[in-house]
Amino acid sequence: MTATSSDREQLRPGLWATVNERYPGSMITKSDLVPLTKLGKPLAASRLTFVSTAGVQPRGTLPFDVTHPVGDYSFRRVPSSAEPADLEIHQLKYPTAGANRDLNVVFPLERLRDLVAEGAIGALTPDVYSFIGYNMDPERLERTLAEEIAAAVAADGAEAALLAPA
Amino acid sequence: MSLQYLKDAAARHDAEALIRYVRLHLGDGDEGRGRREIDKAWVEALKPLLDVPPTDREFIHETLSTKDPATLAHLFFDLHFYLVKRSGEWIHDGNL
Repeated sequence: MTATSSDREQLRPGLWATVNERYPGSMITKSDLVPLTKLGKPLAASRLTFVSTAGVQPRGTLPFDVTHPVGDYSFRRVPSSAEPADLEIHQLKYPTAGANRDLNVVFPLERLRDLVAEGAIGALTPDVYSFIGYNMDPERLERTLAEEIAAAVAADGAEAALLAPA
Repeated sequence: MSLQYLKDAAARHDAEALIRYVRLHLGDGDEGRGRREIDKAWVEALKPLLDVPPTDREFIHETLSTKDPATLAHLFFDLHFYLVKRSGEWIHDGNL
């Protein structure tokens, strides 16, 4: 943990300023305090969930909408027992060649299951969560998609979450 | 380029600001590439029609008559990607 990660200090306080400096006109602005939530018990005794923007979804489900100019605000449940062959990627905005060869580079379900088997993680939630990161309306993202995923994660009894942008 | 920026541009009929965003979207952040992608889609739309094959005109008429403008606009974006994929020259990093 860094010196700035106490529960009353903003984690990486300059992040949004940096984003907006590098990408003028960016849709991202945020000044709210996002307090750090400390893990209540060891990870080895915790149920972990995984939330990804990789656009990974079970084969045969409605593809993420990668063509809409304002984005897709839906998410998919992915069984944590799923094999890579059961899954596919629908996402235009990042190179997927490597992930198509080994899905674990963006969606490391097999590695997470390895860590459960080794005892480093207590368990995985029955489902993990996936959406696409190309969304032009951050308010809608926060008020709908993020809240919906948070509710699903809470209902799954998750005690920790691994968040992974693609 | 925020969503509010685009809504403001639409309200003041600033077509140049809006088309610039469309080019950036279709060109994955490269406006010139997006412009070429738009041209490519129109070329691919023209090619299958040159021999005047039978087409499902009733489907087209019914779709345009019954679907709402947002759905049709959404379909237009889908058709763009469908056509550029048919071209065999795929510039995007990822998958549809």
